[in-house]
Amino acid sequence: MTQLILFNVMNGLIIGAFYALMAIGLSLIMSLSDVINFAHGGFLAVGAYLAYSLAPYIGFWGGLLVAPVLTAILGLIVEKFLISRVYGRDPLYSLLLTFGLAFIFEDGTRYIWGAQSLPYQVPGWLMSPLSSSFFFLTGYRMLMIVLIVAVVAGLFVIMTRTRLGLRIRAGTLDLETVSILGVNVRILRNLNFGIGIYLAGLAGVLAAGQLGLQPTIGDSLIMPSFIAIIIGGLGSLTGTLLGGLLIGVAQGITTVFFPSASEAVMYVMMALVLLVRPQGLLGEEGRF
Amino acid sequence: MTNNGSSSKFDRRTLIKAGAVIGAAQLVSPFVRTARAADVVKIGVDNPLTGTYAALGKNEALGMAMAVDEINAKGGILGKKVELAIEDSTSGDAGTAVQKARKLIDRDQVNFIIGNINSALAQAIANVANEKSVFHVVPGGHTDSVTGQNCHWNTFRVCNTTQTEASAVATSLIKNAGKKWYYLTPDYAFGHSLQAGLEAAAAKLGGVKVGGDLTPLGTTDFSSYLIKAQAANPDVIIFLQAGDDAVNALKQAVQFGLDKKFHLAGAQQELEVLLGLPPEARIGTWVFEWYWNQPNVPGVKEFVAEVRKRSGGHVPTARTWFGYASIHTCALAAAQANSLDAVKMARAMQGFKLPPEIALMPDGAYYRAGQNQLIPDLYVGHAQSTGKDDPEDLFVVETVVKGADVSPTLEETMCKQDWPA
Repeated sequence: MTQLILFNVMNGLIIGAFYALMAIGLSLIMSLSDVINFAHGGFLAVGAYLAYSLAPYIGFWGGLLVAPVLTAILGLIVEKFLISRVYGRDPLYSLLLTFGLAFIFEDGTRYIWGAQSLPYQVPGWLMSPLSSSFFFLTGYRMLMIVLIVAVVAGLFVIMTRTRLGLRIRAGTLDLETVSILGVNVRILRNLNFGIGIYLAGLAGVLAAGQLGLQPTIGDSLIMPSFIAIIIGGLGSLTGTLLGGLLIGVAQGITTVFFPSASEAVMYVMMALVLLVRPQGLLGEEGRF
Repeated sequence: MTNNGSSSKFDRRTLIKAGAVIGAAQLVSPFVRTARAADVVKIGVDNPLTGTYAALGKNEALGMAMAVDEINAKGGILGKKVELAIEDSTSGDAGTAVQKARKLIDRDQVNFIIGNINSALAQAIANVANEKSVFHVVPGGHTDSVTGQNCHWNTFRVCNTTQTEASAVATSLIKNAGKKWYYLTPDYAFGHSLQAGLEAAAAKLGGVKVGGDLTPLGTTDFSSYLIKAQAANPDVIIFLQAGDDAVNALKQAVQFGLDKKFHLAGAQQELEVLLGLPPEARIGTWVFEWYWNQPNVPGVKEFVAEVRKRSGGHVPTARTWFGYASIHTCALAAAQANSLDAVKMARAMQGFKLPPEIALMPDGAYYRAGQNQLIPDLYVGHAQSTGKDDPEDLFVVETVVKGADVSPTLEETMCKQDWPA
């Protein structure tokens, strides 16, 4: 039993890291642009399908490198021509816009690549477990963890050490002042959106390696990410990371004792956090 | 000005309300083709086009469209042109499916209604169809109760019951894989009744259940369930997931190397799932409900060729055939009864044997009287990683089982039809 719990905690951390990857992208956009990006799962699917289509030409690694960048470019375009037009309006506008986009992405991918699940192939040597007792630690999942850690660390460096990051963080706190100080908020938001969507695209490619590639691939992954943000606290990337990991571990442990509640447990956690600490574990008071 | 004042900052309430907006998604209707005049026969289709079962739903839709063209080419139903009214039932929301069924019946005034792939939705539509006395065909939802405890005089089912599928595959599983079974079962009507069927069938042959978990519909990550399954040390891990869930579960099990430690198998398997898997994960003992590679059955080759023309070269799956047989069932019922009256049509179909060019299986298929359940052949065999002559030939049929040999008796189904006076 101890082993089962230990395994599920470790496994939960892996799943949680993945949730966090998506959630951090969402959280970036939400914090700076006040847009709840319902189309995040759609961008994820686009990233995954692009990698699938590119793989025959540039291989798995090429796809892993290029597909998230292409997804980010799509994100920049969507932000420039659609999302940016609803800034400053009631949040309902951006909500409906991204909600509609989510449908367009899902049906668009279904139209282009078909409803049938596609087998996305990852290199054979990544596909096997590292040891026979820790069979759930496959090469691929280790790769996922390494990449997620690298990307999140890189993001933290950008956020704390670069001018762009400084401006994004400042904008999150007080966009008006940042604008008055001469920062081009339009470009700032555009780049920030691009970074968020890059993370969605990367999550998509990684997900496709271990799930079937289907138009709804983003759907079931996006809800935990929203909840990770609420639990962790809006405006805090560390909080979002923590929220994602907590959800993953909680799901893992619940599966041991009460498997049919493994989906519900994150909603229970969200309810508890909202009751006890509405701003989230590491969120700023008053913001949320 | 690009910045925004604090007044438009969203708050927690907005985010929570946003969640409610997701609900609105269910009400979005993709497209409806409605007939303009009364000189057509309308068949309402209330089946998934989005979500987990979208791929299965689209294949059924292709079979349906093909059958409609065939029927119209031969003069339609009772001399009237046939038209489809298609609605997206979603893959898992019974409320939406019922709402669409009511719309098809009340507003579009369809003569027949077809649906659903999801068992729970199939049962829900059956209840609406019964209330409105509309001839109803279930193309692909397998739970026993639809033609069992909750059967209706007007609901006919093309696909098998879970009990029949379970009985067909159980002997082969025990013989090839062992007696200690661990179940991974989707947590809704289909999964529950399939597991119950397998447990009952296995028990007769000395099989035992060493554990099992219910997985929510739409689960993507099966790793924590697989960790538990491994710890139980069974002979066989039984996967009862369907559609995209099955792809995710099997793909992860094989990545974890579980196929080298245990026999991975299940009851119902579908070509859609095998096609979505990487070659190394196309493994296990299963039952198919129809298979395209039946070189000795007349008519199959022509059927396959016609489907290939319409699908961009892909072979038909059991789903394509379900859709095809469902529409033909409607047309045959009207022809047999020489009427569009639901009661007359349902009476005419009691014990009706499908013509061989529609049944497309070695021993044919008939609707069992008193239950309205199609009793066809079932194909027991194993998955193969790559097709030898055709890339989509991913299943090797070992035995063709006659449905009548593995179906529960009419008494066992507990179906009691309540015909209108």
